[in-house]
Amino acid sequence: MTTLIRMEGIKKVFYTDEVETHALADIHFSINKGEYVAISGPSGCGKTTLLSILGLLDSPSAGTYELAGHEVANLGAAERAQVRNKQIGFIFQAFNLIGDLTVAENVELPLTYRDMPVSERKDRVAKALERVGMSHRAKHFPMQLSGGQQQRVAVARAVAGDPAILLADEPTGNLDSKNGEAVMALLQELHAAGSTICMVTHDHRYAQHADREVHLFDGKVVEPGIAAVA
Amino acid sequence: MHHVRLAFRTLLKTPFVSTVAILSLALGIGANAAIYSMFDQLLLRPLPVHAPEELVNLSAPGPMPGSTTCNQQGDCDEIFSYPMYRDLERQQTALAGIAAHRYFGASISIDNEPSVAEGVWVSGGYFPLLGVQPALGRLLGPSDDEVIGAHDVVVISNDLWRERFGARTDVVGRTMVVNGRTMEIIGVTPREFKGATVGSRPAVYVSLAMRGAFSTVPYTGFENRREYWVYAFGRLKPGSSMEQAAAGLNAVYRPIIEEVEAPLQEGMSDVTMARFKAKQVVVEPGARGQSSIHGEAETPLLMLFSITGVVLLIACANIANLLLARGAGRATEMGVRLALGASRRQLLTQLLTESVILSLAGGLVSLLVAQWTLDGISALLPPEAAESMSFGLQPSVLIFAGVTAILTGLIFGLFPALHSTRADLISAIRAGAGQIAGGRAAARFRAALVTAQIALSMALLVSAGLFLKSLNNVTRVDLGIAVDDVVTFSVTPSRVGYDTLRAGVLLRRIEEELRAIPGVTGVTSSMVPLVAGSNWGTDVRVQGFECGPDTDCNSRYTEVGPAYFSTLGMELLQGREITDSDIAGATPVAVVNETFARKFNLGPNPVGKFMGFRGAARDSMTTLIVGYVRDVVYSSVKDTVPPVFYAPWRQNARSNFMNFYVRTSLPPEQLLASIPAMMKRLEPAMPVEDLKTMPQQIRENVFLDRMISILSAAFAILATLLAAVGLYGVLAYSVAQRTREIGVRMALGADGARVRGLVLRQVGLMVLIGGSIGVAAAFALGRAAQSLLYRLEGHDPAVFGSAVLFLTLIALAAGFIPALRASKVDPMQALRYD
Repeated sequence: MTTLIRMEGIKKVFYTDEVETHALADIHFSINKGEYVAISGPSGCGKTTLLSILGLLDSPSAGTYELAGHEVANLGAAERAQVRNKQIGFIFQAFNLIGDLTVAENVELPLTYRDMPVSERKDRVAKALERVGMSHRAKHFPMQLSGGQQQRVAVARAVAGDPAILLADEPTGNLDSKNGEAVMALLQELHAAGSTICMVTHDHRYAQHADREVHLFDGKVVEPGIAAVA
Repeated sequence: MHHVRLAFRTLLKTPFVSTVAILSLALGIGANAAIYSMFDQLLLRPLPVHAPEELVNLSAPGPMPGSTTCNQQGDCDEIFSYPMYRDLERQQTALAGIAAHRYFGASISIDNEPSVAEGVWVSGGYFPLLGVQPALGRLLGPSDDEVIGAHDVVVISNDLWRERFGARTDVVGRTMVVNGRTMEIIGVTPREFKGATVGSRPAVYVSLAMRGAFSTVPYTGFENRREYWVYAFGRLKPGSSMEQAAAGLNAVYRPIIEEVEAPLQEGMSDVTMARFKAKQVVVEPGARGQSSIHGEAETPLLMLFSITGVVLLIACANIANLLLARGAGRATEMGVRLALGASRRQLLTQLLTESVILSLAGGLVSLLVAQWTLDGISALLPPEAAESMSFGLQPSVLIFAGVTAILTGLIFGLFPALHSTRADLISAIRAGAGQIAGGRAAARFRAALVTAQIALSMALLVSAGLFLKSLNNVTRVDLGIAVDDVVTFSVTPSRVGYDTLRAGVLLRRIEEELRAIPGVTGVTSSMVPLVAGSNWGTDVRVQGFECGPDTDCNSRYTEVGPAYFSTLGMELLQGREITDSDIAGATPVAVVNETFARKFNLGPNPVGKFMGFRGAARDSMTTLIVGYVRDVVYSSVKDTVPPVFYAPWRQNARSNFMNFYVRTSLPPEQLLASIPAMMKRLEPAMPVEDLKTMPQQIRENVFLDRMISILSAAFAILATLLAAVGLYGVLAYSVAQRTREIGVRMALGADGARVRGLVLRQVGLMVLIGGSIGVAAAFALGRAAQSLLYRLEGHDPAVFGSAVLFLTLIALAAGFIPALRASKVDPMQALRYD
């Protein structure tokens, strides 16, 4: 299988006043193309920090990070934005749809940051919404949707740009169990269709949907059998 | 387009906030656009003629012995004698050409309908040099300026053509009467051309060679090199500089001064003669034409422009604060957009589009504000000044408002946009609680903006206070006259064909008719209008006072009718006033004022002494001083009373125009209606000019003070209210941000008063810092405005104290509501607030 993501010796240290906090310590980690990986662990273990570095929202203090064969750990802000836009699809816990935009405009949003013809954008938006079963709500605003529907729109937004990997941060965190299960089923469908997914969750039940589970504790990978050990 | 659509949607989402922002900007931009309109018309706009940048104004500063008459075309250094002008015109080769012009008051009559207008005598080179093309017929040229008194032709203005002739094309060849002479209309000026003097709009253009023909007495101004009355301008040759032009002109001018004019001077001291011989022609840029308004309007307009500029800055600070607060509310959105791959540039474009649309909307509404402000300014100006300007929204004003709006949106949207796009991405993807990075920096920036607003408001309040107090001083000046119930007007019989003899008869008849109007309790007259900015001066000889070559023997004077002092409520200290018996042939008499008596050492009893002031009679001192009056206002409310003597106009053979003063026991408005009817009965061809009440005349005399005071006070109050809105906004936002902190404080035992104190301390600090800076700036402003203040120092402590008190009260009022809200925070709720 082709390796999509490779992290070697990733560290992340936060400095606040005179306190030094080691959020991640020497993480070695990889994800293959088409794989569905869950990152789990207790609150404060570094899951979100790891996901932020994976999503190029943050940079590591040390280590190397290759995405699709390219070193991305030390890219500049503009290049990181480009990589995020083209290679990564985000699914947030709080959906983070923009209230002023319609469902279709929200899904179109990442595409507007590319030099993509309007017709192609519209086409991709229609397909993405169809994929998550939200075509009929294209002209609605987020506040007119239920939580589950909003998260499905967020998934459509994540997949519309045809990214190399979907990063999901507690995608069921703001949903009831029924809607949570529905979103998990949707992710399974996407995975089955070939999407690479990396999901952060603190819920072991949802982690089991993944091909493999990476446990973090105090900023280190603690389960054996995964790609690296602290 | 995508950005524009989103921007509209965002702005419409918070209509109240957007409306407040748009109104703030509209007030700021509108006030500036209105003042810019005046600025543009009076100080910036070039004449609408061919290559105006090539035009130059000519002047020759230095002694001008003899008589000088200058007017709104420029100051008295800028005039030449007619012979000198003609010498220069003929001999000079340094310029492409020179031309002369001179404005005059015109009585015109078209189809027996008389009216008053402005006219201008122009040399034959005037229109060709300006490169103006006629709208109809032809314009005056060199062939119309060849023979003195022989060119009874007139060019009319486009406005006159439209208003009085209905824009008929057969107007060329028709005749009209100008100052009593029947003249043939030969052409019409183009619509955009309003003469070469800003602030004047001549209706008729007559050949310079016709000036003497308009005079009812023998005219000497064409030959006399000691009569200065011609304004001259020229056009540079292509590629030539003003220095080269001046050098070329002086090569002609200097020998004439040395060889022709210097020998003509008599009784001139060596010092004055040396200065006279050193005179040179000065060449200055003339693209804006030749006008005294350029000098007079510059300081007041710059002052008003500075004030409105500050108002705009304060409004912009409010917008920046608003955008910052709105940006904080959109931190999650910005974070999400960045996370989805938007570049910062793309987000900045989006946010700047929003701020520019906001400011453009403000710019659009500002046009209304500008129009209202212009209407207000128009109402404050005297009618003749208002008529010479355009108070509509000119294209240049629209461009100004548009450019200002766009720049405002870009400049004041930039920091909030930069700040909003610094969202912490990690927080943005967490539970929707996006935080703006550098919140403290934003808070400091907001506080700094409000502090700056307070500083600017303080400076404006002080300047407004100074102008208001100055106006108060002006209005409380003891003018020495009692004219509340007096109506004034003027007539010029010479302009409708009266010689001086017939004019005198008519003027006396008018006095009689006025006395017969019911309710009239007094009638008098004077040749120099009272408190109207007119000055007549002449050298005098006074018994017991020696006049040497360099002694100032000049006095102001006027020629008056009987009962002048009693009708106008002036106090007679000694002797008698001018009466019906003071006529030609009787002993020449005069009444002098206190300053005259002091200047010419007449002692405490001037009555009975002799003086001389006119022609040969000056040296013989045959005029008997029969009265001694208290110093009263002469030409201007603000001027120090000059030495003045009053002579009876009935003893002068040149009384061919007159100002009348009519005191009434009835409401003066009734007289305003009945005088024109009476005059029409007496002489239908002669228009009544400047009919108004004396209180109105006095108000117009100080219109500049009134205008600056009212506008600066209005703008200062506006600025303070805008600053108060800004202060309120920042405090309200700060209280909302600190709700949890306040809850904790209250949970720990802080009572309402302490919490209110917490907020009001913020106010106090900002007022202290901003106010101090503002007071320092106000000192500088006060110094700059000193020339506009009347009997007031630019650092008047009462004004400064009042401004500080007023601003502090406003600031405390603005801070009170947020402080009250803070003190009502429920600790239980606040601590759950997260």
